[in-house]
Amino acid sequence: MASDPPRFRYERFGGIVALSRPRSVAYLDREYARSIGFHDHPRWRGSAALGDGPLSAPTEVHLVLSRRCSAGCTGCYVGATPDGPALSEIDARAAIDRLAEMGVFHVALGGGEAVDLPYLLDVARHARRRGLVPNLTTSGLPVSDMFAREAAAVFGQINVSVDGLGAEYSRARGYDGFARAERALQLLRARTPHVGVNCVVSRDNADRLGPVVAWARSLRLSEVELLRFKPTGRGAGIFADRDLTPRQARLIYPRALWLGLRHHIRVKLDCSFAPMIFAWRPSRRVADFLGVLGCAGGDVLASIMPDGQWIGCSFGGPSEGHFRDPSVWERGFGAFRDFTTHAPEPCASCEYLALCRGGCRVVAAAAAGDWWQPDPGCPRVQRWKATHPKEPIGSSGPPPNHKLPVVA
Amino acid sequence: MMRTGKILRVAPGYNPNSSSLGVDVAFLLFGSIAVTTLTLVVGSAVRLWRRTPSSRRDGV
Repeated sequence: MASDPPRFRYERFGGIVALSRPRSVAYLDREYARSIGFHDHPRWRGSAALGDGPLSAPTEVHLVLSRRCSAGCTGCYVGATPDGPALSEIDARAAIDRLAEMGVFHVALGGGEAVDLPYLLDVARHARRRGLVPNLTTSGLPVSDMFAREAAAVFGQINVSVDGLGAEYSRARGYDGFARAERALQLLRARTPHVGVNCVVSRDNADRLGPVVAWARSLRLSEVELLRFKPTGRGAGIFADRDLTPRQARLIYPRALWLGLRHHIRVKLDCSFAPMIFAWRPSRRVADFLGVLGCAGGDVLASIMPDGQWIGCSFGGPSEGHFRDPSVWERGFGAFRDFTTHAPEPCASCEYLALCRGGCRVVAAAAAGDWWQPDPGCPRVQRWKATHPKEPIGSSGPPPNHKLPVVA
Repeated sequence: MMRTGKILRVAPGYNPNSSSLGVDVAFLLFGSIAVTTLTLVVGSAVRLWRRTPSSRRDGV
């Protein structure tokens, strides 16, 4: 596929440019933007600091095309079923149009099983025409050679969900689909190098990730993304059994590093693993530069669900309003954006708060019973609990009148 | 010397995954070397792009 021209979007601090060579999103300060020919902009009023407020639009949006899938994975985070709801093609195209108007750069198409939708490729092509890069996550089960050929021509990156090899796949997902997922990867890889694996890390497989990464390398895939098991959808009922042990959580970052170096493949950790990364105290300057963020819902990323509602993160959070309402981005997402200003201890005194943002809100809400509590899987939070046994981690939460309209 | 400003952040790669920002952990390991390398590579790509006449359109 020919490379797409770069796109630029003005931001308070300067601007963001999305490149296809090298594939990246770069944040530039005002001076830099001026130096390459961009002119002063109304957004360049007030603070010029990165992080002093949400972006003018997300850089990437997850468009959840459906909750429809016949695979029946035991931990499906959207609780997809064979007759689940789906965004119509007309609405999906309209959502893409809205994202293009906002200046969003990337759209992750998923579900449910997006490949089952007959209009998936048309929606992806529409995204390309509107200047967005469409990416795809699939179980791989419905991928045919014809689909692989067409998908390779339109998607920027395609990842297939594989949580283990052979019997481990069956244990994690509840059905024997490994051979078909592997076949899908081979078909896709024959057409494009931009194919990877999404691997959900749970208590069962966290100590056996090596074979998955080695296998991905043997298929000449471009990346393995490790995702934390989330307590949503059908995953909510089994989260207590699947959540990482404290030791596994502490070791996930060095393990990911080692596996990437050992097998010469890009290994990525998803944003819900941010507390586990920051527990190893990496350089804040470097982490900030690389965009290592915890919960970036309602800021760098957001989701549109099959009912057309904006939501800060497709794993959870309140519905913020319909994508056709242009005011939603500006006025909504307080449940995600306000954590750092209301963070309780030990987050409040953590030097990584501005980056980590309290870890995963969805895990906090499900496991600790309170959206505004720190992520209970964070090693620092666990240490704090151990040293403050009589001091419950309180939810400072938002003030009681949070987000209520002012009555004149 | 003319000031050219700074590249504040570089998020490498595309993310196909549902609502999760993927962090390539290897970049973290290499710290300042990764920052310098990404700044040079991305900076070159951006300046090369802006030198082409068709790129002079303003942004969103």
